[in-house]
Amino acid sequence: MIRSKNIQQKIAFHIFRLLSFGILGILVWILGFIIYNGIQVISWEFITSYPKEGMTEGGIFPAIIGTIYLVIGSMIFAVPLGIMSAIYISEYASNQKWVRFIRIMTNNLASIPSIVFGLFGMALFVHTFGFGDSILAGSLTLGILIIPIVIRTTEEALKAVPESYRLGSFALGATKLQTIKNVVFPIAFPNIMTGLILSVGRVSGETAPILFTVAAYFLPKLPQSIFDQAMALPYHLYVIATSGTDIEASKPIAYGTAFVLISIVLTINLLAGWIRRYFEKQNSI
Amino acid sequence: MRHTELEIQELKTQVKQMWNLVVAQLSKTKKALLENDTALALEVISQEKRVNAYELKIESDCENYIALYSPVAVDLRLALTLIKISNTLERIGDFAEGIARHTISQECNVIDTKIMEDLGVEKMMDTVLEMLLDGYIAFETENTKLTEKILSLDIQVDELYKNGFFILTEYLNTQEKNAMCALKLIILLRKIERIGDHCNNIIEDIVFYVDAEVLKHHKKITINQ
Amino acid sequence: MMIEAKNINFYYGNFHALKGINIAIPANTVTALIGPSGCGKSTFLRLFNRMNDTIQNTKLTGECLVNGQNIYDKTVQVDDLRKNVGMVFQKPNPFPKSIFENVAYGLKVNGISDKKYIAERVEQSLIAAALWNEVKDKLHQSAFALSGGQQQRLCIARALAISPSILLMDEPASALDPISTSKIEELIHELKEKYTIVIVTHNMQQAARVSNKTGFFMYGELIEYSDTKKMFLNPENIQTQNYITGRFG
Repeated sequence: MIRSKNIQQKIAFHIFRLLSFGILGILVWILGFIIYNGIQVISWEFITSYPKEGMTEGGIFPAIIGTIYLVIGSMIFAVPLGIMSAIYISEYASNQKWVRFIRIMTNNLASIPSIVFGLFGMALFVHTFGFGDSILAGSLTLGILIIPIVIRTTEEALKAVPESYRLGSFALGATKLQTIKNVVFPIAFPNIMTGLILSVGRVSGETAPILFTVAAYFLPKLPQSIFDQAMALPYHLYVIATSGTDIEASKPIAYGTAFVLISIVLTINLLAGWIRRYFEKQNSI
Repeated sequence: MRHTELEIQELKTQVKQMWNLVVAQLSKTKKALLENDTALALEVISQEKRVNAYELKIESDCENYIALYSPVAVDLRLALTLIKISNTLERIGDFAEGIARHTISQECNVIDTKIMEDLGVEKMMDTVLEMLLDGYIAFETENTKLTEKILSLDIQVDELYKNGFFILTEYLNTQEKNAMCALKLIILLRKIERIGDHCNNIIEDIVFYVDAEVLKHHKKITINQ
Repeated sequence: MMIEAKNINFYYGNFHALKGINIAIPANTVTALIGPSGCGKSTFLRLFNRMNDTIQNTKLTGECLVNGQNIYDKTVQVDDLRKNVGMVFQKPNPFPKSIFENVAYGLKVNGISDKKYIAERVEQSLIAAALWNEVKDKLHQSAFALSGGQQQRLCIARALAISPSILLMDEPASALDPISTSKIEELIHELKEKYTIVIVTHNMQQAARVSNKTGFFMYGELIEYSDTKKMFLNPENIQTQNYITGRFG
């Protein structure tokens, strides 16, 4: 009896271990592949110069800058909106049916394929509002894409704040707004921050939403205003890998771009962890 | 100081006040008896009510203390001891009153002071007073080193009491007409001897409180063994 | 009377949590509320700083008077009420801020910004809560660095800082070790000179030790309310007797 139980346990344990190693292996493989192929073209010049010779040579500088603009733009739009909605849902809304409805809708929003956002962004921002293909239209589209993530993570973060802090604050004569501002939000901040930074990763990696709203195949100069088009890393990668003038010749550039993109996303994730730990420490000096 | 400790201090203070009152009663009684002072004896009798009042007060305070503070260990022993001591002090007060009444009744004034001296009444009174005061010191200092002394003083009182029988038997042989007075004297001696016993009980209670040891009926136990 | 309840009925949805409670609590006394779990004593306590307002789907009838004023009157501002009626909770709940900021919090949210005054009040409150000597050298360290008992005294200091006249305590020592508990009890004993204290406790010995008056709740009713001495020596009601002697249930 005991023997067979032990054997079962051992088998299960080994299967679990194998699977998790397998996943790790896939990740290492992808990263290794990109790094191995990408590192060969990485240089200071690659990062700081414009594409040349029909993108078979030169750098990706405008795409990096474009991605940064898009990240900043979408955050400016999505963060206040998402956080405030989340605060409303989790702290104020008293009608549970209404809250449930909002929650279902945000979940639905989160599960819509990103290409649909792209289409919607093109219809609404590019055409109806007349922003044209521009950083503004792209940022708004990406913003809508990540609002559900911001709302969800903020809501979770607020929910994780123990009720006793709120009661303690109310008991001292603080209003609801004071309580949220001085107690609840600071405590929830590290978790909110994590959510925000993860959505930065999402924004910098999305291709579909920017396809019809902002991304340019090639621009000889950097965007001058929010109404200009911009290049972006993921789109750039997509073009040079699929429809460049000489796909074979631009392959190293594609790997280099992928390497930069992955580096940015990983750096952002690391930053998220670091900021989170920093604020958690602040909260419990 | 913690407020529970203040509560204990208050209880102890009351017992000490009662103790002082009983000591005063007993020494007045002695004086009244030896000097045949009726006025003083009357004073003792009138003060007896105060002793009784103390007993009631201390008992109810101890009840409250136990009910509210659920004391344990030394605090519990103290509360129990205080109740017992206040009961015992009240009994001693009763005996003091009884001796005072003996003084007042005056029926036996015919008895000369010689027989009183032979009986050692003054010695007995002094001894029980000393026991009562030693008990007080032991209680106040929470020190039981006086125990032996008090127990041996009680033996002295017992000796005097037993001796009193022989003296009074002899006395009766010669002074038959004073038989009544002789009997009253034996009751008087008996009362003083009982005070000694009660002082014994008090020091035993204090030993229980301070050292958590039970001395009671110790002699019997040793005999049985 | 500092606190008065007149024919209070309270409902959580359909559940009748408090049934016709009448009580009058004099100023500068400690009143303990005891009773089995779920008897309504905590609910009753929370009526007096309107903490139950945060719970949905509740209904209250009857009058809750503090200093003669019905605190459920429409003219009463909840924030003002809570300035006058402080509360200490079961589990110490200092904010994740410094010790100083914790005590100053109540002052700041009530619109006080005079730094010197705040610093003074913080010191006074910490002294009143018997914590000053332990924390005066580390006021700007996190409140979480304190022990559970110290945290609870910090919460008391925090409540005292806004100068309430009433202090509600919901099992303030139930999460603490015996030594911290006795410190809190000692503190309650001192605080009653200045404050009217109502304390909910599961610990009957604690009720007996700290309070002047005791109310016994069962099944949402106030079974008996009398002097603590009387309650613990000679309770009038047989249910009270069964409960305090441990024969209940």
